[in-house]
Amino acid sequence: MAQSGLSALCLLPVATAWTLETMAKKAHISIPMLMVLPSLLLATGIIGYPILDLAWTSMQEVSRFGKLQGFVGWENFAEVFGDPLFYASLWRTGIWTGAVVAGTLLISMPVAMILNDDFYGRGLARVLVMLPWSISLTMTAVVWRWALNGRSGLLNATLMQMGVINEPIEWLAEASTAFTVEILVGILVSIPFTTTILLGGLSSMPQDAYEAAVVDGATGWHQFRYITLPLMKPFINIAIVLNVIYVFNSLPIIWVMTEGGPANGTDILVTYLYKLAFRFGQLGKASAISLIMFGVLLVFTLLYVVLLSRNEADAAPEDEVKGHDE
Amino acid sequence: MMSKAKRSILYWIILAPLVVVILFPFAVMFVTAVRPRDELFVYPPTWGFSEFRWENFAEMWVKTNFGGALLNSLYVSITATSAALILSIPAAYAMSRYRFAGKGLYKNFLLMTQMMSPIVLVLGLFRLMMTLGLVNDLNSLVITYAAFNMAFTIWMLQSYFNSIPRDLEEAAWMDGASHLTSLIRIFLPLAVPAIVVTAIFTFINSWNEFVLALTMMRSSEDFTLPVQIYSQVAGRYQVEWHHVMAGTVLATVPVAILFSWLQRYLIRGMALGAVK
Amino acid sequence: MTYAFRTSSAIMALGFGMFGLAPAALAQTVVDFTVAEYSSKTGPYFQEVASAFEAANPDIKINIQVVPWDTLLQRLTTDVAGGTAPDISIIGTRWLLDFADQGVAEPIDSYLTPEFKGTFIDTFMNPGIIDGKIMGLPVAASARAMMVNMDLYDAAGAAPPTTWDELYEASKKIAALPDTFAFGLQGKEIETDAYFYYSLWTHGGDILNADGTSGLNSPAAIESATLYKTMIDEGLTQPSPTNYNREDVFNLFKQGKVGTIFTFPMLVPQIKEEAPNLRYQILPFPEAGAKATYGVTDTLMMFADSDAKEAAWKFIEFAYGDANREKFDVGEGFLPVTKNVAALPYFNEDPDVAGFAAGLPYAKFAPVIANWEEIADVTVRTMQQIYLGEVTPEEGLAAAAAEVNKIRGL
Repeated sequence: MAQSGLSALCLLPVATAWTLETMAKKAHISIPMLMVLPSLLLATGIIGYPILDLAWTSMQEVSRFGKLQGFVGWENFAEVFGDPLFYASLWRTGIWTGAVVAGTLLISMPVAMILNDDFYGRGLARVLVMLPWSISLTMTAVVWRWALNGRSGLLNATLMQMGVINEPIEWLAEASTAFTVEILVGILVSIPFTTTILLGGLSSMPQDAYEAAVVDGATGWHQFRYITLPLMKPFINIAIVLNVIYVFNSLPIIWVMTEGGPANGTDILVTYLYKLAFRFGQLGKASAISLIMFGVLLVFTLLYVVLLSRNEADAAPEDEVKGHDE
Repeated sequence: MMSKAKRSILYWIILAPLVVVILFPFAVMFVTAVRPRDELFVYPPTWGFSEFRWENFAEMWVKTNFGGALLNSLYVSITATSAALILSIPAAYAMSRYRFAGKGLYKNFLLMTQMMSPIVLVLGLFRLMMTLGLVNDLNSLVITYAAFNMAFTIWMLQSYFNSIPRDLEEAAWMDGASHLTSLIRIFLPLAVPAIVVTAIFTFINSWNEFVLALTMMRSSEDFTLPVQIYSQVAGRYQVEWHHVMAGTVLATVPVAILFSWLQRYLIRGMALGAVK
Repeated sequence: MTYAFRTSSAIMALGFGMFGLAPAALAQTVVDFTVAEYSSKTGPYFQEVASAFEAANPDIKINIQVVPWDTLLQRLTTDVAGGTAPDISIIGTRWLLDFADQGVAEPIDSYLTPEFKGTFIDTFMNPGIIDGKIMGLPVAASARAMMVNMDLYDAAGAAPPTTWDELYEASKKIAALPDTFAFGLQGKEIETDAYFYYSLWTHGGDILNADGTSGLNSPAAIESATLYKTMIDEGLTQPSPTNYNREDVFNLFKQGKVGTIFTFPMLVPQIKEEAPNLRYQILPFPEAGAKATYGVTDTLMMFADSDAKEAAWKFIEFAYGDANREKFDVGEGFLPVTKNVAALPYFNEDPDVAGFAAGLPYAKFAPVIANWEEIADVTVRTMQQIYLGEVTPEEGLAAAAAEVNKIRGL
């Protein structure tokens, strides 16, 4: 699995050649391939092609309007690796991704367990918890930006009217508080999706395991630690992987709230990339950063694939119909 | 065991802080949207205001071309969702039911497409759409959204399809039905819940997408809602916050209601399908 | 893909509803015009001008695209990269050199008749001249000035300042008033650097030295940055300036909470509408050795790749008609860029407009250099670090100057 994941990088030309080959032997084209083909073509065209384009661009000197002006090899990458702002953004991306994903899981797990249990108003509670999902990230960020306004913001209004603070707090004035607030908003918007996945897992869990545990006199914590958690592992895994990918790539929250400021103190890789590409017109360098980000995620995904295949090896073999092509 | 009533009280107490934080932005939106303009910037800040100015909504609607943006968003999201489903269903079916060369490879390829954020690809995508003559055309968003969501839709559908027993289809084959007929007649009706879930997911993603819409749509009459609202905040000499919030309320509430109604299917679908 | 779309014909019917605007007539020349959005009036204004023009020239269609300032540069960049650039566009003059350097901008000398050229005020024409060629026309201009709240000055028993020392002393008195800030200091987002240049220039410094190197580590720069930092530390500004963008600072002023701000003419119509009782006065920037104001112009640029240059130019000449320009300048609160409009009574008798226009003889413009946005960003970041106390003015400005020199390849 891991090997095929690596070779997926060179899939595009292979896939095209392979497609053509099968087309040539069109009498033999198999039903499953025919079914996969349209989606493959779309994904290859819309996502694969720009990746290749990006790889090519990152080795070029590029004018600010995207005109390629000659091959420069690794120069763009060298420039990225010589830039202190890149390292700062990379480091902050790690904190951002780690904190948001960890925070989301820590909150979503108990919330999902509550929502899975039977209690009065569960339907309402589920709707409420899912609610942030229905607003776009951009709009959420716009609303929070307004709510966090120092002197007129309604967050300060609430805290002042409750007597928690006397003076308004300027939430976004310093990088440390601004970044913390952004992480909290990031967690808030990630909870619904994560809770949904976990809730799906919990509700599909066999009840007999619990009943046996109760008979054995297992306490709540032991039940959770030795039954719930192991059974939930695949769901937690997928929640982690998808969240890492989304959060790592997420622009709107930070962009709308602080644009990476003050003093680049909340810049993560995507905001830095956006500025480089569209404000400063350094498209070569920006492409290089895109590829580096792609590399980071690739490594992460491969790790996940390895983990997954190890799990699958333990599970029962897949139940499949034999295809006609064999 | 605790009684249900006691448990309910305990659970609601635990959930309360989260619920407050979740509802807070909605309250902010609403309270700002109905405020008179000159009560936006008051100090000390307060939740109170003198009168409900519902006219804010009407003013906003006219001033910001909200209706046009709403139609654009609806068109793009519905069409992209349909396109993604039409392409994903056969692929997911093939992945679930057949063994074929390159299947593992394809699975990993899909996972990789999932990793790419549109922002990373935006310039390449723009050049691509230019060659296709689709710049400034809402269909460029339709195609990209469909492509970017396909990894998730195929994965989701496939896991769900795995859980549908094969016996029924096999019986149909015995009766001489073609694979296509059995797919449409027997299989798809069983898969409706999964398709609904996947559709909601794709719809929401498309409805909320920002970076691509910002880049591909050149003229204001082609803006989707997130871009429309962002453009009311960004780079203006003056931000009309009450209009901005009126816009977010109108853009959010219908989806929130629809979503509240459909979310039960989402959880059920996850339970039945995901991560098998 | 098409079959996929066709199958969902019901959806398409809904979708096509909004594509009902079919291309109108045959053999029309279409001029794509990208307009920067100054306010909510900008789009409707240009639409109106375009309609009037189309009525007179049925063979030309003007296609207006209104773009917010924050995304304008990105939009044009991807447009040019993708080969779908408009025919004409409003741009920040500070970007013009990058456009001209890359051959994206069309020199307009051959289109510009001496007569038409003569209608412009030279001060505003000059920033658009690069290597002796006119690369664009000034489309919007503003000069900056100091605005003071007379009620607060009177209450504090202070006179409006003419020098930085006076401003500092007056600010101490105003800050002592309850619930009042003496000096509104902008600390984030667009034009945070400009707020520093106001002080830099009036202290006798400049953005670039005579030899082209950065002037950010000059004694004048350090002095002006130190003064801002001192004012923050002594509570003479609003707290946490790095959380206040331009609009936030102006809002404080409209609420009557701030004694002094540095601002642009466009604020005047806003104050008249939202805070009609505010007693304000417009004055030149305080001095510490030099007189200066910041002159800002935006440029109307023609794209070299345009295939409708003649038609576009026809539209430009139409749009620069006196009546159109008057409506635009008055509506948006800009200073006139053409002589005829500048001669109108409104622009001479109105004390507010006159207050801003007074600085024009000694106005400074942002230098026309490559990579201006990146250099401005270095300045903004450094100022934020200084305001937050992360670096001293000396350290911060020395590092910033080095970075700017590196960007400029010096």
